[in-house]
Parts: sequence; structure tokens; C-alpha cells
Amino acid sequence: MFRSDDLPPVNFHWALVWENRWALVRGLEVSIQVSIVALVTSVAIGLFLAISRMSSFKPASMFAASYVNIFRGIPALVSVIWVYFGWSLLFGYNFTVFQAGVIALTLLYSAFFSEIFRAALQAIPKGQREAGLALGMSRARVFTSLILPQATKIAIPNIGSMYIGMVKDTSTFAIIGLVEVVRVTQNLNATNFQPFVLYSAAAVLYVCIAFAVDLIFRGIEKNFQYPPTGRISRFLTKGKNQKVAVLIAKFS
Amino acid sequence: MSAKSSSVGSEVLVELRGIHKTFGTVEVLHGIDLQVHKGNHVVIFGPSGSGKSTVLRSMNLLEEPDSGSVKVLGVEYGPGVKGEKQVPRGKAIELRRNVGMVFQQFNLFPHLSALDNIAVSLRKIKGTSVKDSQERAAIELKKVGLLKWAANFPGQLSGGQQQRVAIARALSMDPKVMLFDEPTSALDPELVGEVLAVMRDLAETGMTMVVVTHEMNFAREVGDLNVFMEAGNIVATGGRDFYDNVTNARAQQFIGSVL
Ligand SMILES: Nc1ncnc2c1ncn2[C@@H]1O[C@H](COP(=O)(O)OP(=O)(O)OP(=O)(O)O)[C@@H](O)[C@H]1O
Ligand SMILES: [Mg+2]
Repeated sequence: MFRSDDLPPVNFHWALVWENRWALVRGLEVSIQVSIVALVTSVAIGLFLAISRMSSFKPASMFAASYVNIFRGIPALVSVIWVYFGWSLLFGYNFTVFQAGVIALTLLYSAFFSEIFRAALQAIPKGQREAGLALGMSRARVFTSLILPQATKIAIPNIGSMYIGMVKDTSTFAIIGLVEVVRVTQNLNATNFQPFVLYSAAAVLYVCIAFAVDLIFRGIEKNFQYPPTGRISRFLTKGKNQKVAVLIAKFS
Repeated sequence: MSAKSSSVGSEVLVELRGIHKTFGTVEVLHGIDLQVHKGNHVVIFGPSGSGKSTVLRSMNLLEEPDSGSVKVLGVEYGPGVKGEKQVPRGKAIELRRNVGMVFQQFNLFPHLSALDNIAVSLRKIKGTSVKDSQERAAIELKKVGLLKWAANFPGQLSGGQQQRVAIARALSMDPKVMLFDEPTSALDPELVGEVLAVMRDLAETGMTMVVVTHEMNFAREVGDLNVFMEAGNIVATGGRDFYDNVTNARAQQFIGSVL
């Protein structure tokens, strides 16, 4: 029979969190730094993969399709061990833990972003391309001036949710010794043995980040509305609208 | 059957000869011959699926014919008529800079204001300066009665207004020929008039126009050359008096059905 008085006295030492707040915040900073650098590289490579996958050049589209299907399926933990230890064993080159984290995330998330961009690019009505071509735009111009801006708008909310996943995946990089939130928590736990308290604090930090990212991406989204409703673009279009008003007055 | 505009002798701006086009395994154009003379207004009509859009889209190579000659402003663009000697071909992008097109679905750029739909296009295509492109855009919007709406985005304009902006955008490129593919078919009935009015004004300025439309009254007013298509062929053509004594039974029946 299991009786509750068999358990050691429960003693939640919540003050620990406050006492070690700066170590935790520092860990959070590292998580954010790694994931932001990886966000930039993943978006760039993801876009490139999406374009390759949609191209009529078979080797390019086949490469992109295989890449996406392989790397979507690899867990972050495996990816980072592979990059950090595997690369060093195979080629004798040692990445820093930060670099290894960025590369590991980029390998995985460029596959996800590729799919996000492909869906977004395909969602643009073909009439847009035809209108651009009919006006006399080059195909490259149609892509950069018409298709990409409209596809970005569609992709932004999905990029936001992916980014939350990226931040969470940085937690697995504790294994290579990246001093992010989970590694900080592990270290504190080793000396204090307060797993419930410390990991709850870690969870709260991740949730806070998720909320913040959501808020930020909502803001970005607003600046991509037609017409833009976000603060930044409203500020930018204010001057523009005044110019248009002048123009209207001039030609009326 | 071949179709020539009434004013024989004037310059031919667009000439299609022996245009064949296949989608998949189905040939949808069976050898189209059509001449568009400078200043003429060509009306193309006929049942759905007869190939009207495909003919129009061959003229600016949005559809590349399988064979046949597309000659615009004296330059050869198409793949060429089978058996004929190949002549040097121009680039599609150069053709399109001389030929404007207006679509059934307007196809305005939703992320740009009415003004920028025109101004940005001018900048990116012709390299016009910011100031000049905006002024030209304002002038073109004024011509279609939409200067006041310059700052509005397409989503904030009615269908009729969007189509007028689309016409203004095409005209800002100084085309020599304007193509219209059922420009009023997607509009609520009460908005058709404003678009036709703009097109009528344009026709009066002497712009060379090719219009696919089922607006038979408009066709009657402006059609210098009227072309009836059926199942991938031009089956009847006629000049200004075409609608008063339609001799082709199928054309007659069709006109009766759309009136
Ligand atoms: N991209 C395409 N792929 C396959 N088939 C096509 C394509 N475009 C047109 N077709 C087919 O070619 C034929 C001619 O089409 P087209 O659009 O030129 O007809 P239309 O006379 O303009 O008809 P509508 O009045 O409906 O616009 C139709 O049978 C159509 O289904
Ligand atoms: Mg059509």
C-alpha cells in the first residue's frame, strides 16, 4: 500500500527562482539568440528550397523535395548531436555550441519553412503573374515585386508559430552544453534539487516567449495588411498619403 | 476563314496567321487568321470554350501557340507557320510592352494602392522616376474618373472601379494596342456601364482595340471588325453592318441568345 507519509516532506523552494533570476534570464537570452539567427537562415534557405521545389528543372525540384522530406523528420536532439559531434569526428572541425545549435535548427526548420513558402507562393492567383507579364515585367520582376510580397503576407502567421517551435527546440541543445534555459535549470537543480520549482520556472519562461512572439507577429501581420493597419506602416504611409493628397489636388 | 479589318490599306498592327494551340491532347485553336488594323476596334464573340481568350492571349504570347505566326508592329514573335521559312523572332517581353491587356478578373495588385498599381509598374517596367511615375499615374487615374480614389487599395474599390484602374494601368504603358478579355463579365450589372463608358472613350481616341465581349450593344457601337468564333475556328466575320444582317445561322442564333 502506498501512503502519502512515505514521501519525503514536500518543500517547494520558490524563492530559488527569484534568487537565480539572472541566470535564467541569461539562459533565455541564449535561447533567443540561437533561434533568431536560425530563423533568418532558415527563412532564407526555406525560400530558396521552395523556389527550387516549384521549378521545372527536375534535379532542383527533386533535391528540394528529398531535403524537405528527410529533414522534416529528424528530431532536433539528433540533429544537434550529429552536427556537433558528428562533424567533428568526420571532418575534425569543431563548431562552437552556438554554431552547432544554429546549424541544427536551420537544417530542420528550412525544411518546414520551405513548405510554408511553397503553400504561400502557390496561393497567389495566376492572374497576378499574368497581369505582371502582360504589362511587360520580366519573370524575375514578377516574382520579386508581385508574388513574393503577397506570399510573405500569407506566410507570416505560420512563420510565427514555427519560430515558437524553434525556441522550444533550443532546449535540446543542453545536451551539447549550450547554456540556454534548460541547461541553466539543470545546473541549478544539481545543487538545489528542486526540479518541480525550477522546471516550472523554465516552463513559464517558454510560455512567456510564446506569448511575446505571438504578439510581435500579430504586429508584423498588421503591417502587411492591405491597406496596412500596423503602427509602423501607418507611420510610413502617413507621409505617402499626404503626398498623394498633394498629387490629387495638383491634378484635379 | 480569315478576317481582315474594313480599312484595307492602313497599317496592320497585329496579324495572326495559322495559329494552332493544343492544351494537353485537345486542339482548341485550329488555325486562326486575324488582322488588326491601326485604329480599328475588333470584337470577338462566341460561345464559352470556343477559344476567344486563347486567341486574345496569343496576341501577347500569354499563350504560346504551337504553330503559327504572331506579328506585332512588323515584328515576328510566334513559332511560325509550319513549312514557312523561319525569320528572326522578337522577345515576348518587348511585344508585351507595346500591347496592353485587361482581364476579366481585373488582376490589380492587391498589395498596392490604385496609384501605386500604376506608378510602381511604371517604375519597375520603364524605369520612370518616382515623381514622374506618380504624376503619370495621377493623370491616368483622372482619365478614368478615379483620381480621388488614388490612395485606395483594390480591396477598397468596387469591381467597376477596379477594372477602370486596371485599364488606366495598362494605358500608362503607352500601348499601341489594347486587348480586353470579357472586361465586364465579372461585374454586377449596375457597374458594367461605367467600364464600357471608359472603353468607349478610349475607342474614340482612336486606340487600336481587340475586345472579347458579349455586350452586343457595345459591339454594335464600336466594332469595326466583328469576329464570331466557334469550336476553335473563326466562322463568321463582318464590318460595321455585321449585326444588321447576320448571314451565318450559328452567329445569328448566338446573338439572339445573349441579347
Ligand atoms: N490552360 C488551359 N489548360 C487546358 N485547357 C484550356 C486552358 N485554357 C483554355 N483551355 C480550353 O481551351 C478551350 C478554349 O478556351 P478559351 O478560354 O479560349 O475559351 P473562351 O472562348 O474564352 O471561353 P469563355 O467564354 O468561357 O471565356 C476550352 O475548351 C478550354 O477548356
Ligand atoms: Mg474566355
